Amino acid sequence: MSVRGLAAAAALGAGALALQPANAEEITLEFVVWNYALDVIQDNVRQFEAANPGIRVNVTDYTWPDYQDSLVLRFRGGTRTDVLYGGQDWLPAWAAAGWLAPLESIAPEGAVATLASEMAGFALSDVTYEGGIYGLPYYADTISFLYNARLLDEHGIAVPTTWDEVMEASEALKAAGIDRPIVYEYNQELPNFFDAFVAQVYGRGGDLFDDELNAIFDDPDNAAYQHLEWLREAFARELVQPENHESNVITTMNTGEHAFTVVYNYVLAAMNNVGAQPLAGDFQLARMPGGEGATLGFAKFYAATADAAADPARAEAAWKFIEFMAGQPYGVAKRWAVEHGLGFGQLPLLDDADVIEAWSGWVDMDVLSAQVASARAGTWTEWTAVWTAFFRPLLASAMVGEISVDEAMSEGAERWNMLRAQFAGR
Amino acid sequence: MWTLRRFPLLWLLPALLLVAAFIAYPVAHAFWTSLHRVNLLFPGEPFVGLENYQRVMATRQFRTGLRNSATFMALAAPLVVLAGVAIALFLQRRFRGSLIVRSIVLLPWVLPGAISAVLWVWVFHPSFGILNGVLRNIGAIDSSIQFLNTPSLAFYCVLVAYVWTQIPFAVVLTMAALAAINRETLEAAMIDCRSGWKRFRFVVFPEIKAMVVVLLVYNALMAFTTYDLVYAMTGGGPGTATTLLAFQVWREGFSMYDFGAGSAVAFLMVLVAVAVIVAITRALPSDLFGERP
Repeated sequence: MSVRGLAAAAALGAGALALQPANAEEITLEFVVWNYALDVIQDNVRQFEAANPGIRVNVTDYTWPDYQDSLVLRFRGGTRTDVLYGGQDWLPAWAAAGWLAPLESIAPEGAVATLASEMAGFALSDVTYEGGIYGLPYYADTISFLYNARLLDEHGIAVPTTWDEVMEASEALKAAGIDRPIVYEYNQELPNFFDAFVAQVYGRGGDLFDDELNAIFDDPDNAAYQHLEWLREAFARELVQPENHESNVITTMNTGEHAFTVVYNYVLAAMNNVGAQPLAGDFQLARMPGGEGATLGFAKFYAATADAAADPARAEAAWKFIEFMAGQPYGVAKRWAVEHGLGFGQLPLLDDADVIEAWSGWVDMDVLSAQVASARAGTWTEWTAVWTAFFRPLLASAMVGEISVDEAMSEGAERWNMLRAQFAGR
Repeated sequence: MWTLRRFPLLWLLPALLLVAAFIAYPVAHAFWTSLHRVNLLFPGEPFVGLENYQRVMATRQFRTGLRNSATFMALAAPLVVLAGVAIALFLQRRFRGSLIVRSIVLLPWVLPGAISAVLWVWVFHPSFGILNGVLRNIGAIDSSIQFLNTPSLAFYCVLVAYVWTQIPFAVVLTMAALAAINRETLEAAMIDCRSGWKRFRFVVFPEIKAMVVVLLVYNALMAFTTYDLVYAMTGGGPGTATTLLAFQVWREGFSMYDFGAGSAVAFLMVLVAVAVIVAITRALPSDLFGERP
């Protein structure tokens, strides 16, 4: 082709491009997630984009341990963020800082209330701040007490229902050659570490705070105080094998050398994954020991930023996206439940035949339902996330005997009360 | 006539602008932050002077982090340099498969810290770790050693892992310094002195001393500010056994939303780092910093 021909072809091409209708309506949402099952997230996004021409979604992911600080940096630095994964512990602080918008401000009237009416109580509590609903559940779960049923059967040990029984059973197993029967997710930098402690305190029927948000856990008669003493004793007797991440809990429990652990329910799904784990099927869920059988329920959720809510076009797109991911007919939540064992806050899924069939393969649904029914939401205030970052290292130090239980609880209560006073005067 | 000497500032300007934008301004802003109450959850950023510094230095976490970081640095930096120099001297020799060995030695360098951490957890883990498996198989132990779960052992385990990740860089730089030594000097030394140790001490070491100082300073700073590997291996535990000062910067800033306090810890780390650089360069004077031994 001659130079003149090339030029003509280029001019034609440019003209054709210029004649394309300008896609001025297309909106790109910035969606920020932690990187659990990123392939599924991307696939859900593709399905949303196919169903909603004109809206594109750009996914940015961070690891779970880096998620909170990455989001804080994004907010602080003004990096555009429209929809994100939120957590119950961060919501009050992020909403109070003006980073998030209540969903009522971007959704059609009545839409959020309809979805809220089908949400589990603890999940609804976790997505609510000062009367506004800031999220729809990505997943909602409980922290549960899991055990190796085959190991207990072999040693003639009944499933413990109190923490004293857990100690006795662990001593018996240790005497029988099971070196460290309790596997404990122990990482002072992860929110899970505090959540699991609260779940165990709830199991004892206690709480860390009273109705006026006073710290009461520094009282030796308080269940939290007593449970930290229990944990310290279990560590001292070398009954506990700490693991710094739940992924290691799955592998370690599947060595068959450990009997008990306290983790999120979806970890049980992974432990009993027939295709991936050698001892799949050996693990079962029991009500949280302690007499009351209660536990911590929590919700992680899709939230919209205040920045997105301020732009009508982005706000509308953000709502469509959140509704697709967590709204009726709950297809995405169901997918997470069936394929990954993630819990859900959308109550109608409890009666879904596909969910029941999939979950029956790794958990006793009756026990799980009883555990979920007795789950309680945590105490989440504007300063809870700040305070837990301070308190977790104290918990960790007390468990291994670096400081006394009284030191940990006194310092923790003092900091809680100080933060409460600071925020009251804000 | 155009010469480089004619407009020195003009030629330096592009580089100076980059340094100002990406180093000077962020550092200055961080220092400003450390003198103000900058909490993301509270409005306003009032000047508080040294209050942030006083507050963070009074905490148990700061004192523990400082002690652990200083110990970690004091052990890690010399170990990395000693191992790096020893391996470089070994690899300088030609032997069958030396190229393969050189490649393998460099391997830890290309691994991200988090991957190295996973590898070392697999080495030390009590239930599925290689080390416990080997010790059990040869009958040296009956039950697993809780390497990463015992405070006194965990610190040394992360130290070993950290040193392993840093050795390749020390090897590469030392080999470069060794390659630059005049061959005739080495040949003369071979004739004059039969003792390998004496040849190293009086001929080779003076030639690579500047590089050793660089490596010591670099590794001291890296060890003092390290975060990812230790975090991924232990999360700072058990208890505070492996909690380093860099954790406190992160915790104050991002977990507690208190950027004033986080910046104060960061600047205290800078002060320690400056003191370390001065101490090393004074203890091992070399012409690298314009001083004559």
